[in-house]
Amino acid sequence: MEKLIAILEDINPDVDYANCTTLIDDGILDSFAILSIVSELHDEFGVYVTPVDITPDNFNSAQALWDMVQRLQG
Amino acid sequence: MSLTSFEFVIFVGAAVAGYYLIPKRFQWVWLLAFSYIYYAAASLKILFFLLFSTATTYLAGLLMDRIKEKQADREQRIKQKRRVVAAALVLNFGMLAVVKYTNFAIENINALLGSHLSFQTIILPLGISFYTFQSMGYLLDVYWEKVEAERNPFRFALFVSFFPQILQGPIGRFNRLAHQLYESHDFDWGRMERAFILILWGFFKKMVIADNAAGFVDEVFGNYGSYGGAAIVVAVLGYSVQLYGDFSGGMDVVRGIAELFGISLDENFRRPYFAVSITDFWHRWHITLGTWMKDYVFYPLSLSKMMGRFSKAAKKRFGKSIGRTLPICLANIIVFLLVGVWHGADWKFILYGLYNGLIIAFSGLMMQNYRKWKNLCHINEKAPLWKGFQIARTFLLVNISWYFDRAAGVGEAFDMMRITLTSFRLSDFWNGSLMLESVDLVALRFVIVGFGCILLFLVSLLQERGVKIREAITGRHVLIKYAVYLFLIFVLPALGQPPSAGGGFIYAQF
Repeated sequence: MEKLIAILEDINPDVDYANCTTLIDDGILDSFAILSIVSELHDEFGVYVTPVDITPDNFNSAQALWDMVQRLQG
Repeated sequence: MSLTSFEFVIFVGAAVAGYYLIPKRFQWVWLLAFSYIYYAAASLKILFFLLFSTATTYLAGLLMDRIKEKQADREQRIKQKRRVVAAALVLNFGMLAVVKYTNFAIENINALLGSHLSFQTIILPLGISFYTFQSMGYLLDVYWEKVEAERNPFRFALFVSFFPQILQGPIGRFNRLAHQLYESHDFDWGRMERAFILILWGFFKKMVIADNAAGFVDEVFGNYGSYGGAAIVVAVLGYSVQLYGDFSGGMDVVRGIAELFGISLDENFRRPYFAVSITDFWHRWHITLGTWMKDYVFYPLSLSKMMGRFSKAAKKRFGKSIGRTLPICLANIIVFLLVGVWHGADWKFILYGLYNGLIIAFSGLMMQNYRKWKNLCHINEKAPLWKGFQIARTFLLVNISWYFDRAAGVGEAFDMMRITLTSFRLSDFWNGSLMLESVDLVALRFVIVGFGCILLFLVSLLQERGVKIREAITGRHVLIKYAVYLFLIFVLPALGQPPSAGGGFIYAQF
């Protein structure tokens, strides 16, 4: 999870990732940021995120992202 | 049958009355019948294209669902489904390309090779760009197993042809729209009132603002060589008002009519001129086209194996940050090229798309630098002055794009920009040279458009602050409520251009 937070902060440092649960709903992460995250997730965790995985449910919070990474690793 | 015509009002009235009088289980059939009557009334010939698109998409969806059920091997299943989706995409986008771009291709081949291929007479079926995108979105959703294929061909036909939206959108999504079309709806007076306000407001934007602005805009863009920079600037600003009033007004009418049947369509505009960047502008302008492109082109292209390889190479060459952003920028430019092509078969639209794509790609690449600069200059992102600056900057960039969108061609657009910069005289604003004799009642039209814009701005400002205008009006005392209705009803014929003079909707030509 720390690694994930570090990735998110590198892409956009002005967000409280520990508490925010509306990263997509409030437009905090735009499509450029989402794809940058996907690229870093692949490099760091070896997971392939597909277009079908890009949903608000998977990207609205750091926890949701982490759950997706674990699901894709499994 | 134009949305602003008297026949259309009668048509909608009959559709709504019947919808709530017949047994509820037939409501969707009623909508289907009215949708096909509406489309066929325009021309029987173009019905073929709608039927072709409906039939091929329906069958492809069904076939993919069958493969999903029958084929246990995952690899084989994906392979077989891919063949079906590819065939349906080629057929539908192929048909769209033939009717929309054949003459454009001939023109360019002739120019390039010096050949003399003759132009073809091809009818552009009404709304084909919209219903093709809507049905192809459904097809890809079935392919990705986001939705189940619709088994009933008639229900599916309604999803593709629902009459309020077929000519100019919004481009609907199956998971949000289809079930609403098929469900039964009770008559709800409160909802009818809210729908009525939205329809009147849409007519106000179209007939009072857009159609009054059109005279000046058409004259200056049509004969720009006769005018100075000030007239061109006013015409471009007028076009930004006209296009927004026309398209978003049309969308309000369409969404209001759908609400009369209890159906809520996706929002297509969210106060775009309050955008703080071009990216933000595209989140607020023609939203359903933007999200369609994002979900069905931008993400799949960015996450493709080819882009993966490019990203890897770029990261090695340029470092992590630029390396991961470059492929996204490339995909973004391709998407905006497509947005340009979608708008029409002309180089000016391709340039319009490229202009937007390049600005967004450049911003994406420079993001880390912007952040450093903002920190260095101690800029408070939430300060009203900073936000005002961002809105003004975006508005200027958007208005530059309108030169390409509205001018007759690329050469004319650049020529108009040159005149704007080289022969701009501030004195033209008060010496009467903007009062064009060739535009009927030009001074009065300026006043009406100005009044309309002030009202539109105030309403938009309240909406930006979270006020739900329609609920606020319908919740007021009956006298206030009806005063608003009467104001809108009487202001339309008093200040608006009649449908015969105003012409059709700009986006209904796509």
